[in-house]
Amino acid sequence: MLAQSDPIVGIQGLNKWFGALHVLNDIDLTVASGARVVVCGPSGSGKSTLIRCINGLESYQEGVLRLAGTTLGHKARETAAACRQTGMVFQSFNLFPHLTVLGNCTLALRRVAGKTRSEAEDIAMAHLEKVRIPEKARSYPGQLSGGQQQRVAIARALCLNPRIMLFDEPTSALDPEMIKEVLDVMVALARDGMTMVCVTHEMGFAREVADEVVFMDGGSILDRAPARDFFSASGHPRSRLFLETILRH
Amino acid sequence: MGFDPAFALSCVPTILSAIGTTLLVAAVSCFGAATIGFLFEMARRIGGIAGMASGFAIDFIRSTPVLIWLYFLYFVLPFYGIRLGSMTVGIMGLSLYYSGYLAEVFKAGIDAIPKGQPEAARALSLSRRDTVIYVIAPQMMRNIAAPLGNYFVSILKATPYLAVLAVPDMLGRAFDIASETYRYAEPLVVAGLIFLALALLISYGVKRLERRLLAGGTR
Repeated sequence: MLAQSDPIVGIQGLNKWFGALHVLNDIDLTVASGARVVVCGPSGSGKSTLIRCINGLESYQEGVLRLAGTTLGHKARETAAACRQTGMVFQSFNLFPHLTVLGNCTLALRRVAGKTRSEAEDIAMAHLEKVRIPEKARSYPGQLSGGQQQRVAIARALCLNPRIMLFDEPTSALDPEMIKEVLDVMVALARDGMTMVCVTHEMGFAREVADEVVFMDGGSILDRAPARDFFSASGHPRSRLFLETILRH
Repeated sequence: MGFDPAFALSCVPTILSAIGTTLLVAAVSCFGAATIGFLFEMARRIGGIAGMASGFAIDFIRSTPVLIWLYFLYFVLPFYGIRLGSMTVGIMGLSLYYSGYLAEVFKAGIDAIPKGQPEAARALSLSRRDTVIYVIAPQMMRNIAAPLGNYFVSILKATPYLAVLAVPDMLGRAFDIASETYRYAEPLVVAGLIFLALALLISYGVKRLERRLLAGGTR
């Protein structure tokens, strides 16, 4: 059994290639239970690929990725069981357009967790309350704004009661005025003690909730520091340069 | 020989008496073609030997005339001890023939679904089967309602081919009248008009279905 203090994610020497392209280069990363890690870096740096490896959406060729005590990719059944402990939020929301908000949230509860319709709806409504959008339960995703859709996507991922939430640039596809409503939900989630790995360029969010900031470039982790150090002058020169570029806007 | 409206009217009951056969053959063939076509497409997507075999079958079926399928099933299968009624053979022939086309329609409908959809399903730990049933198939249906409806109309219009197997459909009845009375215009026009009405009805139904499937907008 997994002790509370064991890291929920333990990555050692992780390497991944897309054909000849070395997208992840000797990645080491540990995420303790309850930790909030922000991953940043320029586009193409491998940060999305990294968190997609954590929930098994991508496979890897070398190294070890342990999730909730299971090494991913060895035994199909155990890998699937471990991945069930994760929830993921995508840049493009990826809500199911043919289902209502409630249908989106209850599908996995009914088909994966084996809940009845009314149990699933109760759980889903509780999470929709949490992301402050219960009044849209009967709407279709196409009838919602981007910010609302992303909040529904967060609720959908929370429904299966994950031990770790993975965010893949959750606000990058949003209009500026909708970013705050999504970040507010994520901050509240962090305050509740959720373990989070978040790929984002929202440095305000990183400063507010992250325990640790990881800076990636060219498939490698170049800098890894507690949030307060990362934003001080002491960081890695490459991450300083990156920070100056994105904070200038 | 002019067109005699009174005679045409007198043909209607006889020809209409076969509408049940036509509709039965068409409906079962649509169902059969859609089912086989969907399985073909699923097999093609799985790949490997099943995928190659399925891809070959789809191309093979689409590149051969439907009449050859009907004659083959009707005249050649009995040599191997498989004896089927003419209506069963007709339904099998139309189902197989159109399954090849429908597999292509399903392919286009699935290709149009964004990659993020199956990914989201995987991130939610849905099984492959549940992903197909609850995520892929419904969205595919939204994408293909219109072309699927067109093929259903095609299948309806292909039912007179079954005359070669002596299945008593509407065109068969029309020919019965013609050969008894030596008047061709009236029974053929009546049969044609009934087909037209049925085709329009299906098109209307498909349009309504499409509107319902698109409830809530696309994305």
